Amino acid sequence: MKKKKYSIFFIFQIVLSLTAVLAVLLPVFFSRVSWPDLARNYLEYNGLKESGARNLVSSIYLGYRAFDTLGETIVLLVAVSGTISIISHSGLSLAKGFGEEKSKKQTYNSISGFNRTELLDVVTGKLGPIVLIFGLYLMLFGHLSPGGGFQGGVVVASGIVFMALGSKTDSSTWLQEAGVLAKIEATGFLFLILASLSGIPGGFGFFGNPLSGTEASPVIYIIILNTIIGLKVGAGIGFMCIAMLGKVE
Amino acid sequence: MIERILLIILFLIGFYGIIAKKNIIKKIFALSILNSSVVILFILEGSKIGTNAPIMEEGVKNVVDPIPQALMLTAIVIGVCITALALAIAFRLYRYTHTFDIDEIHRKLHDEPF
Repeated sequence: MKKKKYSIFFIFQIVLSLTAVLAVLLPVFFSRVSWPDLARNYLEYNGLKESGARNLVSSIYLGYRAFDTLGETIVLLVAVSGTISIISHSGLSLAKGFGEEKSKKQTYNSISGFNRTELLDVVTGKLGPIVLIFGLYLMLFGHLSPGGGFQGGVVVASGIVFMALGSKTDSSTWLQEAGVLAKIEATGFLFLILASLSGIPGGFGFFGNPLSGTEASPVIYIIILNTIIGLKVGAGIGFMCIAMLGKVE
Repeated sequence: MIERILLIILFLIGFYGIIAKKNIIKKIFALSILNSSVVILFILEGSKIGTNAPIMEEGVKNVVDPIPQALMLTAIVIGVCITALALAIAFRLYRYTHTFDIDEIHRKLHDEPF
């Protein structure tokens, strides 16, 4: 058995790149500058009053820094559509082993073609609806407790994947159909744009809170945005996962 | 200090995986590890100035800085997007070349253009 030899150039390459990374990172990791608390103090005393949300993280990403969230949802939309188009242009769907030819019928039934166990059936099929409800809870109570649109959306997506894995027969609910999920994603994005424009007639600007001058609590705007983002993220990531499972032609 | 040293080790593991591993899937794992190390660094630094979670119930004082947490929410979502896209590209490369090895892919794509 011959020992594997690395060339001198390869070792030089590794050493050089590690040195470069350490030279960049060490000042960042070992800085002695203490963390500034100006923004923390402002948010601690004014955040609840201004945005109405007890969860300061959600008041930041849907109130003070909502542009960031808009860009994030656009990135997610682009990633989902890119993944779907790359998978669908490479011919087969991903399920049932890699690269083997299969008939049309098998493609549709591919999820049931895994090596299934009773454990998978029982756990995923029964747990799916519970996970979906938990995702909705995270979405709707994101302003009060840890959670929010993105987290709730990811939990909803895992609920969708659980239900797709747990369907023993080849029957599928509407939640697993690619067209429905894609429509939910697109509609969610449309509503997000509309909600972002809704403050303009009242003079609050893009992503301004239209309720901030009225009697109503400004937290309603955050709840609406959380719900829209949660549905959109859940549909998008669920769509992507189901495409990777091989449910999409 | 010890947690920062652990984080820099985690970062270097991810970096080593990206540049030295030949398997594309391992490279994608390494990218994910690297992303996690940056996320944990931000959360750790933001938590240096407080003790409580930033949920303003009655009487909650001395909360941690919520801004790094909101920023890392973005970073986590972007990380998921990057992982999904990279896996899709790896799948497509596998469909054309039937291998995950980066040298093998390079050789096949140069020898036999499709």
